Order: sequence, then structure tokens, then C-alpha cells
Amino acid sequence: MMSTSYDKCVRCGSCVKFCPLFNAVGEEQYSPRGKTYLLQVMDQIEDDPELAKEFRQLLFQCTLCGRCSEVCSSDVDLLKVWHEQRAKAVQMAPEEFEYLDALRDALANVANIYGLDPEDRAIYWLDELEDDIPGLEDRVYEKGKTADTMVFLGCLMSFRGSQMDVLRSLFTMLEEVGEDYLVMGAEENCCGHPLYLMGDEKGAEDLRKHNRSVIENAQAKKVVTCCPGCLIQLREHHNLKNAEALHHTQYFDQKMETTPKYNQTKELAYHDPCELHRILGIKTEPRSLLKKLGVEYREMEASCCGGGGLLRMTDPGLSDIIIQARSAKEKLRDTVVVTACPSCREQLLASENRTKDIIELLADASEGGAE
Amino acid sequence: MKLRDIAIGANASMYYRLNFKKIRGVYYPRTETDVLAAIAFARDNGYDVTPKGGGSGLSGACTGGDTDRIMMSSLQMTEMLAISKDIGYVDVQPGLTPDEINAVLEPMGMKLFVAPSSRDIATVGGILSTDGGGNDTWVNGTMRDNTIKVRMVTYDGRKLTVSHEGVKSDDPDLEAELTKKGMTIHDVASSHGTLGFITELKLVIRPVVGETLVGSLAEFPDYDTLGQAVDGMIKRESPIRYGETIVMAHPDVREGFNPPLLILQYPEEYESELKEFVDIKRLDTDEFERLKDIRIKLPKRNPMEGVQFALFEGYGFHEESLRNMQHTLDEIDTLLKSHDLVPFGKYGHAPSKWYLGDNTAAYGIIMHSREIRPEGKTGTELLQTVLDIVEKCDSLGVTPKPEHKWPFDDEAKSSRLNELREVIGPGFNSFILDEACDDVLSSMV
Ligand SMILES: Cc1cc2nc3c(=O)[nH]c(=O)nc-3n(C[C@H](O)[C@H](O)[C@H](O)COP(=O)(O)OP(=O)(O)OC[C@H]3O[C@@H](n4cnc5c(N)ncnc54)[C@H](O)[C@@H]3O)c2cc1C
Ligand code: SF4
Ligand code: SF4
Repeated sequence: MMSTSYDKCVRCGSCVKFCPLFNAVGEEQYSPRGKTYLLQVMDQIEDDPELAKEFRQLLFQCTLCGRCSEVCSSDVDLLKVWHEQRAKAVQMAPEEFEYLDALRDALANVANIYGLDPEDRAIYWLDELEDDIPGLEDRVYEKGKTADTMVFLGCLMSFRGSQMDVLRSLFTMLEEVGEDYLVMGAEENCCGHPLYLMGDEKGAEDLRKHNRSVIENAQAKKVVTCCPGCLIQLREHHNLKNAEALHHTQYFDQKMETTPKYNQTKELAYHDPCELHRILGIKTEPRSLLKKLGVEYREMEASCCGGGGLLRMTDPGLSDIIIQARSAKEKLRDTVVVTACPSCREQLLASENRTKDIIELLADASEGGAE
Repeated sequence: MKLRDIAIGANASMYYRLNFKKIRGVYYPRTETDVLAAIAFARDNGYDVTPKGGGSGLSGACTGGDTDRIMMSSLQMTEMLAISKDIGYVDVQPGLTPDEINAVLEPMGMKLFVAPSSRDIATVGGILSTDGGGNDTWVNGTMRDNTIKVRMVTYDGRKLTVSHEGVKSDDPDLEAELTKKGMTIHDVASSHGTLGFITELKLVIRPVVGETLVGSLAEFPDYDTLGQAVDGMIKRESPIRYGETIVMAHPDVREGFNPPLLILQYPEEYESELKEFVDIKRLDTDEFERLKDIRIKLPKRNPMEGVQFALFEGYGFHEESLRNMQHTLDEIDTLLKSHDLVPFGKYGHAPSKWYLGDNTAAYGIIMHSREIRPEGKTGTELLQTVLDIVEKCDSLGVTPKPEHKWPFDDEAKSSRLNELREVIGPGFNSFILDEACDDVLSSMV
């Protein structure tokens, strides 16, 4: 049943100025209140096909950062509303979302967002990192292998060269703490997050099924991922019976009571990935690690980098405006932005910011503190 | 029509079902030049102009009624133009909120002391246009007390600068005429966008003084005792830095507290005197912050079943109506119930200050009231209830909508606005002063 929790919106406006889309464009239709209001008066406008179409488009001009849900004191579950409305929009007018077909087809056919051969999931990074991490090839899951911990890389980290340093650091640290781990490799399907963000629950579930059986067959007790989007899927939607899904910051914070100190030479700022801290509620572990590393850092405003909710696909121009405005407002030019999300990393790099994942700091510190 | 022409109707009042076809243009100016261009478009086409800020006003004034009009939002006018810590002022564009201004001032140890609960969205242009204030209005005054001067643009594109002393204009004839009428900032305060578009404000800022404040809770057996306690504070000019009351709250949102109650903060050394006439219980910082949070969220929360709404957003209890609060409230509740309205929450600033339509100051409790939105009531029926409340307030000596001075229930204010509009010209938010205003509003419920 469709939720009508947007009826509970009293249009107080408290969410308006927190919304990255509103701040990027400055017009009310982009704000959460603007959209709940449009839903409240939909009976007055839905007969106009152009307006209905515009509204469907507007639903995808949102990073699903959840800031509005967090701010709202009127019990309006805005994130749920946006998810439901997106599903409804795609169902009502699939032809308007043809630009998402390539992504959907790729996920249906090869189970990754890039449309690449599934076998390639463990090719690029393996080639690159084999020398640095001896025995890495043996860590790639095959039928019959078991381990305490399964590493779920996700599409971005499996295929993007820009993520290589994070991967190197992740494997270095897993070796360092002596973890018994496997990487899902070619047996990993996309976690289903992109489909979930389009409201395609069935498509997402089709992808999850395989992951679930691989994790179960490997008898893993933990699944570790660096990607908050994947973690949402693994923790909340994969229905894993015997394995606990953890973000890498949680895993290492639990595992390492103390860490070597990081040799800091640059100004650092910590950016909370929206899906990590707001949706999954993981706020303390990244900070606890930073504290153990002894770094001094500035807290950034808890707002979005502009990369979430598929916005990079649905409206890259707006996505760029959000990160550029953010970089200017928070004076990031001389700062290295520390974060813990491959998607935020892509967004930061694309806007010429310097960034490091927390795991990179950890690996640097362990390797002798070199920055 | 585009969605931007519809979304501009989003506002916190119960008047939200607009006739969107009458919106002939939506503007988000950034500068005074942009404002002038938008007004020129309206003038050339014979359209009205409705200014809008954060849309948090509860009177429906930022909707513009159903006149053919352009809507002009200040939400992109968010520049901080100048700050003088030494002289104590800040020059700002009208679309900034007190929270945004104070975020910049805070590191300097300065503050704009205007704190409506809606300060995260209410704009300074909007707050002056409703003469809003917050829980510290008692010590810090309303928005007009914190405004040194404003710059505004009239319908025919002339510019005015209005201060407490008088008015200046780029047109000497207009300046002379308005000076003859004695126009001051009091006229702009609560003018609900009927005189022109405010493009800039010079606001008072003051240092944050490091007082040791303590918080406490006072619970009362009945409304008379609450009213008399607040009356005592007014008579003694008690240094209450933060004063809020929860008069009643629906059990779903009461969170274990027992209204009527007062949440107070004052300098530590004042506590012994306060104890002489109010039975207070000292709160630790966490308890105090928790109570403040419960209070500030009351206008936004909902009961388990149904949705709250603001039928009539404010009652100003002062003088006799404050001292006999039980009787006053009983009368109001009887009226609400006779119109099938279930009370949800009553809360507000206490002690507080507001201005009457003739610009004299009143002191007492500004009580906000929320009810559970009734099913199946027509807009006309709900508006009739509002009008009945206004009449009841008049008979009880209660100021209706003290923070908003909604001109249709304030003869002194509306005739003054009409008098000024004879000089300045009509064209701004005219529906408010129109006789058909009630019907227009009821059509939007
Ligand atoms: C949850 C909640 C809590 C609230 N708490 C308080 C409170 O504690 N104290 C209080 O006083 N009020 C309170 N209010 C009411 C509201 O916030 C105030 O009335 C506020 O002053 C409105 O400011 P705004 O920017 O939202 O104006 P809007 O609602 O957009 O407009 C209000 C009026 O100002 C006019 N206006 C706006 N900008 C301009 C401009 N640049 N030039 C000329 N005219 C303009 C509009 O035409 C309209 O008539 C509350 C409202 C809500 C929803
Ligand atoms: S904060 Fe909640 S109630 Fe207020 S406008 Fe936003 S969604 Fe509506
Ligand atoms: S989820 Fe984020 S981007 Fe989307 S409406 Fe809410 S605050 Fe705006």
C-alpha cells in the first residue's frame, strides 16, 4: 500500500534550507517541502500531462541523502515517500526513463553497472595488486572455499582505477590484522542498490539472491564492504542469516584497539557519507579510527556530496553544482577530504578535490606513517 | 504552467489550495535590480505582486489570495552585505534567516536577538512583515525593535528607506507625502507585504554576554495560577531570558510532563526572587534542553491518529485575560469544541511582548494553538470558526494573532495600511485588504 505520510507534512519549511538540491537551484519545487506540497495538491495538477511528467523527472532530481527525513519533526518518512514515488513514476511512464535502460539491462545481463563481463570483476585490481599483496589471487572466492570474512567490493571498487589505492589499503590492512578472508570476485553480483534507488525492488532482489547463496556457501560470519550503498543492501535487504554485514570502518575499529599514528602533513576534513551516517547510523566508528590514528581534522557540514540517489546519471549538471558549491563553501582547496565511501570519492575526485578513504590513512600509518 | 508556479504556493498555513492559474509569474530575484524588473513586468500587465519569504507564516498572507499576480520570493536574496561589530549592526538581504545570520555572527561573539521557533526557515524580511519574535521577545523585543531601517521598492518602482525616525525616498514628493503621514518602521512591521518588497534590512546585533543562566520548570494546578505567575513576572520586570509555556498537549506528545507548565531560564542570582512568587524546580542542563526540544517540536508533531493543523495560530493574553486565564481558555475551548475541533496543543512564549495595531506594546503570553485536522469540514466552515474566534477574542480582551497582526482582524492596522497605500499606491498583496479576503481564504483551506 502506498504510504500517505506526505499528508503529515505541515509545510513548516524546516527541511528546505538543508536540502542540497534546493541549495543548488534555489527554487522551491526542488525542496522536500516543495515536493510534499506538490503531492498534497496533486489532485489539482495531475490532469496536466506536462506537469505530471515534470514531477516524475523532479523525483529523480534528489540525492536521497535523507537530510530532510532527519530534520523533519512531523513523522514524515520522506525517504520512504521518495522511494515509493520513484517506483510509481517509473511504473507509470517507463518511456520517460529509457535513459536508465542501459543500466537496468547491464544489471540484468552481467550483474554489474558497467555492462562488463562478470569475470572481469576480479581482473583489473588483481593484475594491479598481485605484487603488493602476495597470495591475493588465492583470496578470490571459488566454489568450495570458505572463510570467516567475505569482502564485498561492489561495482565501483571492482572496476574503477580511481579506487585502486583504497583497495590496496584494504587488502594490506586485512593481511596486517591476519584476517581469514575471501573476496567475492567474479561471483559477486551488484548489490542491487541502483535498482533499489529506482524503486525496482524485484530487479534488486534478483541480484541479491546469488550474493546470499555465495556468502552462505562460504560460511562467512562477516561480510565487509567499503561501500555504504552496498552495506544498505547487505545489512537491510540481503536477509543474511549467519553473517553480519559491516562497513570497513566498523570492522577495523572493532579489530584494532590501537593503531599506529598517522604522520599528518596536510589539513584534513572528514566528510560523512550520507548513506553511512544518516541512513545506516554509522557515525562513531570512522571518528574513533581517526582518533586512534591521532589525526587532527575539521568536521564538515553533514550534507551531501551530490553523488547519491543516481543523481550523477539523472542530472549530472546538478550533481556538479552541488559538489562545486560545497567545495567553495567549505573551502576545500587546501584540504584533503577524508571519507569512507567509493561514491563520494568519485564525486570529490571529479570536482578536483583531494580525498582519502580512512582505510588509506590506516594503511599509511601501518606502513610507517608515510603520507 | 510549470511546477515552479505551483510549488511557490507551499506554505505553513492551512490556506494552501491555491488557484494556480492566477499565478502569472514566479520570480527569485537576487538583487534590487532584479526586483525592479519583476515589478515592472507585473505593472505592465496589471498584475499584483505577492512577496514571499520562507512561507512559514500561518496567516496565508504569502499566498497572495486569488488575485492575478506574480509571486516574488526572497529565498535567493541571501547576501550578508556588511557587519559592524563596533556600532552593532548587520546589513542583510531579506531572504536570510536568523539562524543563517547568527551562524556568521557567532564566532564574533555577536548575535541577532530575534528567535521565532521557525528561525531555521523564516526570513528576516518575512519576520519584519509579521513583526515576529520568539521566546526572548520579553527581553529583546519583536523584530521591529531589532530593525534599524529597511530598504524597500514600491509598485511603481520607487525606493524607500524606512527607519524609526521616518522615511526617505529617491522621489522627493513621495518622501514629503509619507513624512506628512508620519511613516516609520512601525508601519512596515506587520504590513504583510502590502506596501512593497523589502530588499535590505539593517538589523541590531549585540554581544552575547556571558551570564550564568539557570533553567527551571514550574508546574501549575490550573490556568489562573499560570496566568498570574506570568503577570507577576511582567510587573516585576523579571529578567527571564527564555520563557516558554506548554499550556496543554495531547497525550501522544506530552512525553511524561504535566501541563500547564513554564520552562524558564534566568540569571542564577535572580532565582531567590523568582521563588517568592513562582513554585519552581531547578533543572539540570540536559533536562532543560530536553524540555526546550519538546516545546519547539510541538508545532510540527502529530498525534498517533490524524494530523495537527493551525486553525488560529495565536492568542495574546494580557491584563485581565491573563490574570483570568482559566475563564478565557474555557471560553475559547468551548468555542473550538462547538465547532468539532479537538485541541492538540497549546503552547507559546511567556512572558512575551507584542504590539497592538496602534503600535502600543502589550505584555503577556503569546499562546499558539493547534487542533487535530477535522475530517469533512469545508473551508467556509473553518474560516467561520476563525472569524468566531476573532470575535470571541475581542470580547475577552485577548489579542487575536498577536505575532501576526493579521490586518483583517485589526481595524487600526488595516486602516493605517490603506492610508499609506493611498500615497504609495496599491499593487502589493492587495487581497489582504480586500473585503472578499475571508471568502478567498476559505476557498484555499
Ligand atoms: C513551526 C513554526 C513555528 C513558528 N514559530 C513562530 C514564533 O515562534 N514566532 C513568530 O513570530 N512566528 C512563528 N511562526 C510563524 C512564522 O514563522 C512567522 O510569521 C515568520 O515571520 C514568517 O516569515 P517567512 O519568511 O516565512 O514569511 P512568509 O510566510 O513567506 O511571509 C509572511 C509575510 O511576509 C511578507 N513578506 C515576506 N518577505 C517579504 C519581503 N521581502 N518584502 C515584503 N514582504 C515580505 C509576505 O508577503 C507575507 O505577507 C512559526 C511558524 C511555524 C511553521
Ligand atoms: S520538515 Fe517535515 S513537516 Fe516540515 S516542511 Fe519538511 S517535510 Fe514538511
Ligand atoms: S533526500 Fe536529500 S536531496 Fe532529496 S529531498 Fe531530501 S534533502 Fe533534498
